[in-house]
Amino acid sequence: MITELIHWLFFLLSVLLAPIVILGTIRKTKARLQARRGAPILQAAFDLIRLAQKGETVSSTASWIFRAASTIGLCNVLLISWLVPWLSFAPWAPPADLFLVVYLFAMSRIFTLLAALDTGSAFGAFGASREATLSLLVEPAALLGLVALGATSRTSDLREIFSFTNTHLQMNPAIWLLVGTAIILSSLVELSRMPIDDPTTHLELTMVHEAMILEASGRNLAIIEFTHALRMSVLFGLSVQCFMRAAPAVWKLPEIIQAMITIIGLLTIAMAVGVFESLAVKLQWRRIPEFIAYAITMSLLAALIAVAGGIV
Amino acid sequence: MRLQRALLPAQERAEQLTQWLHKPHGRLGLITSIDGSQLITLVLDTETNTANCWETPLEGNRYQSLTPVTPQCHWFERNLWDLFGLVPDGHPRLKHNLLHESYSPDLFPLSKTVQHDYPPAEKTYRFLEVTGDGVYEIPVGPIHAGIIEPAHFRFSCLGEIIFNLEIRLGYVHRGVEKRLCEVPWKNQRFVAEAAASDTSSANALAHAVAIESILDLAATPRANFLRSISLEIERVAMHISDLGGLAGDIGFLGVSSSMARLRGNALRLAELLTGSRLQRGFICPGGVTYDSSEHLSQLRESTLLLQKDLKPVLEFFLSNQVARDRMERIGVVSPRLAKDFGLVGVTGRGSEQSYDARGHFSHGVYPEVRPIFIVKNDGDVLARANVRIAELQNSLNLIVELVDLTPEGALMTPMPDKLSGDQIGVGIVESHRGELIHLVFTDQHGAVVRYAIKDPSTNNWTGLAIAARSNLVSDFPLCNKSFALSYSGHDL
Repeated sequence: MITELIHWLFFLLSVLLAPIVILGTIRKTKARLQARRGAPILQAAFDLIRLAQKGETVSSTASWIFRAASTIGLCNVLLISWLVPWLSFAPWAPPADLFLVVYLFAMSRIFTLLAALDTGSAFGAFGASREATLSLLVEPAALLGLVALGATSRTSDLREIFSFTNTHLQMNPAIWLLVGTAIILSSLVELSRMPIDDPTTHLELTMVHEAMILEASGRNLAIIEFTHALRMSVLFGLSVQCFMRAAPAVWKLPEIIQAMITIIGLLTIAMAVGVFESLAVKLQWRRIPEFIAYAITMSLLAALIAVAGGIV
Repeated sequence: MRLQRALLPAQERAEQLTQWLHKPHGRLGLITSIDGSQLITLVLDTETNTANCWETPLEGNRYQSLTPVTPQCHWFERNLWDLFGLVPDGHPRLKHNLLHESYSPDLFPLSKTVQHDYPPAEKTYRFLEVTGDGVYEIPVGPIHAGIIEPAHFRFSCLGEIIFNLEIRLGYVHRGVEKRLCEVPWKNQRFVAEAAASDTSSANALAHAVAIESILDLAATPRANFLRSISLEIERVAMHISDLGGLAGDIGFLGVSSSMARLRGNALRLAELLTGSRLQRGFICPGGVTYDSSEHLSQLRESTLLLQKDLKPVLEFFLSNQVARDRMERIGVVSPRLAKDFGLVGVTGRGSEQSYDARGHFSHGVYPEVRPIFIVKNDGDVLARANVRIAELQNSLNLIVELVDLTPEGALMTPMPDKLSGDQIGVGIVESHRGELIHLVFTDQHGAVVRYAIKDPSTNNWTGLAIAARSNLVSDFPLCNKSFALSYSGHDL
């Protein structure tokens, strides 16, 4: 009972804090690498509060979808963050089928696309078209990797796959590493970060994600920004979980140490993304499929291992 | 260089201009009018390094458009319509350029003749419509996300590919040319250097050269050296800033923030030389105003230091494969089109046009001192970036060299109180964007009756519209940055 309560407490804290801290860490790393002092780590929280207090401008041609989409997206991601084992400690949750999770992600994307098209702005429309193209390309990468894990552990329930009592995968570091890499690569695409999309740019014509939310403002924008950051935390968290399970020693550790590894892992990934974004150059639009091909290759290799394991 | 007017009847003008531009050394400087009753055509010869001014008297307000034959007349003829109400017959797409819908249709700010016969009574502006399956339009601007000046870009796209780009300027028309005729000539320099504030040194220099050519006076030798140093510092600062902009547009944050810092160092050079980071109020007719003798050795050292600081950043930028990939074969302007549209500056030299006003027309210590000219032939963003980098390095060398050679002596040649009557003065200067022309006409009393400025951007905006075609929409900002054009320089 007490453990369950502590789990819930930790979970809620993580949902609130992880997105802010991860975003802050990425920005801080980038700033330090450019020899700037950078904004405080919690700046994202201040920004969200400021946005929430602002008035809102809604295009007169927008329908209810435009405002509803952000709330639907937030609920969606909150649900995902409850179902998906992105933290090593988690409160009780119903079984989370991996296909359900992948298509919950797809559903929140659909609403973002609809909201972008809803205002009738040219930027929103081509942002949506780009996002749709990217998600089409990147979906196999994420899905195939998770299916490989599921096939090896004979279940499609993510909770089951990631539980430390599931011994099918305990001595299988290669598959964890491959899936972890596939998730992190495809999440860069999914989250519109470098080298796919430059989150710091002001150039509407080059944007993907930012172009879709150009028309959003005030509280609506705050919800969208928070949803995006939470989605990032869940995806990065999931890959941290994969990476830490690659070391068989971790499986036997007490829960509190696993939790600490998770936190350190999340911050490391955030910093790594920050370093990468400082050094990387944004890819040309035509070259993006080549980048996605890396993610797909990782997943394919994981799938091969899964198939080979099944035969043996 | 003092200019002579040559009278050229309208029938001969077209023929002469076509012939002139067919010569390998012929260039069109600018086309304008003094008061609306004549056409002024300034043509340049880069072999003999001379300029000719053709005057074509007009009867009424119509003339035969030369745009169908000589496409670079396009924007000049549009400006003539806006400012003087002169209508080019047979212009393929006559649109307003400087004056928008909100101006009265019978307002022709520079015309001194009464107009009765002006066409379309309303100033509607029609974009070129591209029709067909799947073609859509993206309107961008005139208010942009960045802190840049206003212009409207209308993209007609097919998926991610740009089919046609139409650029509409004129949102910041300030009446600079008219104002220049109203202020006393000794105060003109303050207006002239503000024509485009990132080109203040070049504009002040072109103004000074034009006024000096009217008076048939020359600046002191020391002033000429200081003027050239000032011009090169401006080039260094702007090339650094433009290269940083290129890096920023492809998300290369390390390079763009380093460039932003180094631009500050270049502006500090300007402060040492002129007392003003943006070089305001330094160059004036007759010489220069600020005595920087005690700072020159410090200026030399800082220049060498800047050169050292720049080297690793530029190497880091160019050695990045993805960065090169982003710039290669993007925004290509073929040498043929560059010649037809008379593209100047970095853009021209990236497309095989070797023209650099510093090698031909007198301003500062040029053309006696000849800088090294760099020409590339790919015509893409990378070619323009490479030209910029090479020019940047040459300019830094040149600054050190000029500081060493600067002779002692007076800063100013004394100037008379009145300008000579019935003269034409011309100043042709290579600014960091390219050839900048100031053309000044005085009446018999020595008052300035017409002051025409041709900013390099006037030539190059068309180049951008051409370069964008068949490129990806998402590559346009990069392409745009590689041209680094001025909005206010165009909208005078």
